[in-house]
Amino acid sequence: MKGHQLQTNHNFRTRMAPVMPSLSILLGPALIVVGVLFGGGLILGILQSFGYLHVAAANHLSIQHYLNVLMDPDFLESLWLTLYIATASTLIAAGLSVAVALFLVTLAHKNRLIHFIIQIPLTVPHLVIAVAAVFMLSPTGLLSRFAMALGLINTSSQFPLLINDRWGIGIILTYVWKEIPFITVMILSVLSNTGIELLQVGQTLKANRWQRFRYITLPIIFPSLGAASLIVFAYTFGAFEVPYLLGQTYPMMLSVWAYRNYSDIDLLARPEGITTGILIAVIVSLTVLMAQVITKITRRKGIVL
Amino acid sequence: MGSLKIRNLSLSYNGGAPVIEKFNLDVSDGECMGLLGPSGVGKTTILKALAGLIQPDQGCILIDDVDVTALPPEKRDAVMVFQKPLLFPFMNVAQNIGFGLRMRKINGAHKQSEINNILRLTRLDGFGRHKVHELSGGQQQRVSLARALILRPAILLLDEPLSNLDANLRQEMRELIQEIQTKTNITTIFVTHDQSEALMMSQRVSLILDGRLRQVGRPQDLFYRPVDPDVARFFGGCNFFTGEIKNGQFETPLGLFPVGQDLKKNQPYTATIRPEDIVISPANDKHLRGAILRTNFEGAATRLWVQCNGVQLIVLAAGAQYKAHQNVSLHIPPDKIRLFPKNV
Amino acid sequence: MKPWFKPMIVWLIPLAICLPFIPLVLWSLSDRWFYPALGPQTWGLRAWLYVFGSAGAQIIASLLQSILVATITAFTSVIIGTPAGRALGLYDFKGKDFISLLFMLPVIVPPLCVAMGLHLWFIRLSLAETYVGVILVHLTFCLPYSIFVMWGVFSNYNPDYEHQARSLGASSGQIVLKIILPFTMPGLIVAGLFSFLLSWSQYLSTLIIGGGRVTTLPIMLFALMASGDRPVAGAVSIIFVLPALIVLLFSARYLGGRSVVGVR
Repeated sequence: MKGHQLQTNHNFRTRMAPVMPSLSILLGPALIVVGVLFGGGLILGILQSFGYLHVAAANHLSIQHYLNVLMDPDFLESLWLTLYIATASTLIAAGLSVAVALFLVTLAHKNRLIHFIIQIPLTVPHLVIAVAAVFMLSPTGLLSRFAMALGLINTSSQFPLLINDRWGIGIILTYVWKEIPFITVMILSVLSNTGIELLQVGQTLKANRWQRFRYITLPIIFPSLGAASLIVFAYTFGAFEVPYLLGQTYPMMLSVWAYRNYSDIDLLARPEGITTGILIAVIVSLTVLMAQVITKITRRKGIVL
Repeated sequence: MGSLKIRNLSLSYNGGAPVIEKFNLDVSDGECMGLLGPSGVGKTTILKALAGLIQPDQGCILIDDVDVTALPPEKRDAVMVFQKPLLFPFMNVAQNIGFGLRMRKINGAHKQSEINNILRLTRLDGFGRHKVHELSGGQQQRVSLARALILRPAILLLDEPLSNLDANLRQEMRELIQEIQTKTNITTIFVTHDQSEALMMSQRVSLILDGRLRQVGRPQDLFYRPVDPDVARFFGGCNFFTGEIKNGQFETPLGLFPVGQDLKKNQPYTATIRPEDIVISPANDKHLRGAILRTNFEGAATRLWVQCNGVQLIVLAAGAQYKAHQNVSLHIPPDKIRLFPKNV
Repeated sequence: MKPWFKPMIVWLIPLAICLPFIPLVLWSLSDRWFYPALGPQTWGLRAWLYVFGSAGAQIIASLLQSILVATITAFTSVIIGTPAGRALGLYDFKGKDFISLLFMLPVIVPPLCVAMGLHLWFIRLSLAETYVGVILVHLTFCLPYSIFVMWGVFSNYNPDYEHQARSLGASSGQIVLKIILPFTMPGLIVAGLFSFLLSWSQYLSTLIIGGGRVTTLPIMLFALMASGDRPVAGAVSIIFVLPALIVLLFSARYLGGRSVVGVR
């Protein structure tokens, strides 16, 4: 029986590269750019965070900056705020994306326009939406004017704070608007490829609507939903523009706090800004790594969701 | 086990032009019915309508004399096996097979024993814990079949069950389906575009051409007694010649033939004879004379193009003794001729 | 589901997507719009005339700088990314996983710490506050996208076409021009557009490396937001979003539209 292996495994395209020189010519320039610019930048950042290369200090390594940052009560405040905003944005966007994707799949290909419209936010810069959020949600924004017109409030100060606010509502709304289409399109591509056929199989095998969602749709979309959510989390955790424009002055999201320190007139604060940047990178990388490990383990144990 | 009645069924895709119009068919309990027709004729559409995946524009479907037309797929006692295996990639073989039972909330030892029975029936013992992508194409197809069989549906719907398989696996799978069908006596409707597959596997065959049901009957009936030239042509009929009935005989360029059928006089008829039914021999005086135009050796037989009284006939002859440009004699057995009124 | 539910959602989705653009357009077309009026008291083109008039020379300058930086970055990114994508898409080799992880890192790690790390070094190399410096730092984040797009293109590409062409007498140059280029053109365009958009939207890395000297459009937009001139900020926002919409229209028209997912 082993002789009749399914024909899909062989891939005529990927082959062993016969000559190393040609391979290094192809990969070399890209490796140099990423290695020197990205790797170099990262290493220089790490060196500076350990006190090396700094103007005011001697060239010896110390963990002083890390101690300073980690001991700073503002750091912890910023960390909690960042975790909260990144988690909330990701969860809300992921949940709504599943709903939107399931809805769009029922429309099938009847409505091409809506499939196009849903992609608009993908290419729109975050900054534009942050500006729009200011115009829309600020105390003198469009929403507040509507509330006034409807007689819900009497002065702009009665309008609830939706930007530069304690709960990061403006930031979260901006991210949710921007990321729902991203996650939705990722889910839709798997759902509309194999999904529709597998759902039909499920239907003839007597699965009801809920069972089809739970036992077919969810397992199908889970890998891409997870990957997309992870990307969104990593992005929202480290991104700068949106909280810089829409965040409150205290506590700030980590990226803003890092930049404030970095651009402080007091040059001694600069390495602490870099240190915070490195910490953001470490947290993001660890999250991605952990998610990978968890998926690997659950796959190996045969648990699907 | 169940019977199936299809009444006046009309089907279309998304409100477009109808693919199938006024389709009627009865399948009795325990029967194996082949739906045969060229690709794109709407056979799969009928199957999906029977499964409930497509709502018909008109007509009704009765399972065991109960109208199920309005029932969704999950409430119908019919299970469809798709052309592709479409196994759930995130489940192993046993989980795939047990899916239907799980949906019915049947769990525990009973479910396990059912799965084991089906694994044995489909010759998949020991594969229960395998991942589906580790299986061969034939094995995947069997898992797909097993997944449907475990629900013991009244009607089993198979969409081109052999088309995804290599030639050698095809025979194996065909025998397996026949064996299971005989063993379980499950009412089976299967779709195919391959006439030999339909003839071999079905108790009765329904031939669909141009969106219409042309002929239903035992495989021998369709093969030897086609109701019109199209049906004859679909089963490889290639010799057609015309003539008239005169004095109780069929008068043609190829000679006079006594007529058994009750036919109208002085009216043109088209006759057909299968290439293997024409008896060919080296030139002699007793029979019709003809000349071989060209030959094509096919292994078990040789296909000969013979020009005979202005009519070109194709003859299948055993062996390879005939050559091009040779003169031969032909005998057309009158009982093997089939006549159709010409302007049909 | 109730019968009105589906059409309602069908309309709700485009509405939610268009919502942010409404205040941008309204404000850019208002001359006077005091709180709490629902619409502008005086409509007008003051903001647009300002942007394209002599008073807005700075804005036009920043628009040109943005186009310059993003175009050069995009070209460089595609030229360097395509060979790498070909190597990854066509061949299996030792260390492939490690190399792909290396290319993945700039996508995961936020630009923040890399830009900060590079800053000091760029100051020493006199690259800080220069276009070259800004383009180099943008390239760091754009190149991975080019590589991944071209990786996808080349893993659906059959090199036997090249062998066929060679056996028919084509030279290496002809193979590149007549075989590889036509086959990979849609991918090259996508990779270029991605890189352009990514560079176009970069804010923080431009701010740190450009140090206020390189004032691309996003830098200008922040300055305008700080000054509180909402009509002009609205107009600049609309200009800022245009390439994104053009790219989207283009990809929907020529590439089936499924490919814009990668843009961050």
